[in-house]
Amino acid sequence: MPEPVSNIISQMPRLRLAALLLFFLGPALAVYSLFSIYPLVATMALSTYTSDPSGARHFIGIANFQALLGDALWSKPFWNAFRNNLIFFAVHMCVQNPIGIALAGLLSLPGLRLKGFYRTVMFLPTMLSVVIVGFSWNLILSPLWGVAAGALKTVCLGSLFAPWLGLESSALVTLSLISVWQFVGIPMMLIYAALLNIPDELIDAARVDGLGHFRIFLHIKLPLVLPTISLVSILTFVANFNAFDLIYSVKGALAGPNFATDILGTFFYRTFFGNQLQLGNPTMGAAVATIMFFIILVGLCLYLVLVQRRIRRYAF
Amino acid sequence: MANLRIEHLNKRYGATKVLNDINLNIEDGEFVVLVGPSGCGKSTLLRMIAGLDGASGGDIHIAGKLVNALAPAERGIAMVFQSYALYPHMNVRKNMTFGLKFTGVPPTERERRVAEAARMLRLEELLDRYPRDLSGGQRQRVAIGRAIVREPAVFLFDEPLSNLDAALRVSTRVEIANLHRMLKSTIVYVTHDQVEAMTLADRIVVMNRGCIEQVGRPLDLYYAPANLFVAGFIGSPAMNFFEAKVERVESGCARVAGAGFRSFELSAPSLEVGDLLTVGVRPEHLGRGADGPFAVEGVVELVERLGESSFAYLRRADNRLFVAEVRGRQTPTPGERATLVAGARDVHVFDASGLRVSTQNEA
Repeated sequence: MPEPVSNIISQMPRLRLAALLLFFLGPALAVYSLFSIYPLVATMALSTYTSDPSGARHFIGIANFQALLGDALWSKPFWNAFRNNLIFFAVHMCVQNPIGIALAGLLSLPGLRLKGFYRTVMFLPTMLSVVIVGFSWNLILSPLWGVAAGALKTVCLGSLFAPWLGLESSALVTLSLISVWQFVGIPMMLIYAALLNIPDELIDAARVDGLGHFRIFLHIKLPLVLPTISLVSILTFVANFNAFDLIYSVKGALAGPNFATDILGTFFYRTFFGNQLQLGNPTMGAAVATIMFFIILVGLCLYLVLVQRRIRRYAF
Repeated sequence: MANLRIEHLNKRYGATKVLNDINLNIEDGEFVVLVGPSGCGKSTLLRMIAGLDGASGGDIHIAGKLVNALAPAERGIAMVFQSYALYPHMNVRKNMTFGLKFTGVPPTERERRVAEAARMLRLEELLDRYPRDLSGGQRQRVAIGRAIVREPAVFLFDEPLSNLDAALRVSTRVEIANLHRMLKSTIVYVTHDQVEAMTLADRIVVMNRGCIEQVGRPLDLYYAPANLFVAGFIGSPAMNFFEAKVERVESGCARVAGAGFRSFELSAPSLEVGDLLTVGVRPEHLGRGADGPFAVEGVVELVERLGESSFAYLRRADNRLFVAEVRGRQTPTPGERATLVAGARDVHVFDASGLRVSTQNEA
């Protein structure tokens, strides 16, 4: 039997060990520090400053955060963006993930024909550029020249049509659903892969036990892919609170109408870089970015503590 | 408790025939073992009895009822899988009652059946544990328990012991035999292990390339294999085969000769001069001191010592190897020249098409 690694390490001279660690860990640590840790720390540091009209920066502690969360000028758009972001996330959780699970369940049915075709078609939007998706849906849903109104009319549902992207009441949900349409392939693929991992004999056993396909899915397959579903949920959470591109490409940085589709990403963009009459404010922008970081951090911690620890992975 | 009747059963995947006109009658309470090399269709046949795979043609009757169109759960069968296939997210009790819930067995009855099966299989202490906390042997017992609580007409076992280590395999084999004695139920059992087949079966079905080669009691298969395939498959090490030819026939008595062994007389009325034959002798029937018509000479090349006996590999005159089992402490030494003899009853003769030639020696 080969000697355990821990023994080899403990017998090694200190200097040699340090050199070895530096050799193997150094490059990754350097890259990670330079491009990930340093920007994060620098952003946090920047958020504690403010700049006067001359451009000089002064340390002001947590004043930026106080303004962001309490001063009406900043807090109104911030909380609006936060609320919209929660809705954006909720739509993904309630629509994208259940549909992804259902599609994966259907794809994993034995004897389904054209499996590869369906899989590809449903994953195709995910591979499209967000700019193309945003532009296409803008055209499709346009009340002037979009095909949506006409398509609804041909199935006698023309009265249902409304300029969804232009109404304050429906713009955010419509955008969320466009995003769901684009990204539903990801939960589908991840869960489909997990379903394929379930051994056939287990399904056979359930069939001998008298379960039909739906009950097998509900009682056997679903509990066994719960770890993957929770992984998909946390990926959705992180992606949604970092989202920016779709809103920007469909609605621009102003996230109209009347900030109805403004989420943290677009709010950060306007704050940091400025937009139209609003001047860019890097220090306040850094504060927004820091808060976004903490929102995701808290979400992840809650997930790790409340969900991850209770979920059991099954080895087959 | 039920009999099982299979008539003209066929299974094709595209152009490949997996099962070819299978006919089999299994009596109520019988323990039947399907045995054969991998890919012979034995597992497919079992899955078709279970209803997990559909048939391309033919009928399956369980307890006198045609079950072709019935779902697995409606056929009155229970199946024990090779990988045990326990539900990993349910404890032992739930694993056993899960199926009953969906077939409308009331809760009190479920509890009674689980208690009964747990007692029979010594699972009482394990009922609240999860499959991941059980050893291989325990999982196997739970899988059997899950089958028992269904109170099926026919038990189906798909290579249930192949995932266990050697010692556990022997003890579980004994348990399954005991279980059959207690439950007196019909069992169809698939294995590729001929020791399991020989020890467990009331009757063995030897399969090869989608066809049944022979059906019979274990010792009938051993002492009177119907063809070359069965002769070579049953018994370990495999039977030695010698090519031979009928030299002359005199009043129902044929003189058989071939390379490597001494020619001998055989009272087989069906043989004619010039017939090509295969003579088969099991290693355990070749002995040094024995008396009989069949004698073969060879030089010992290799000896495998098992303790209670040894297997000697000898090279005969035509440069081919054959095996002889040598009992007792005295093992042959490589290089030694030996003449080994087999009794008339232990010489099997097969014709050119591989079928057994009936001889009056075996009467």
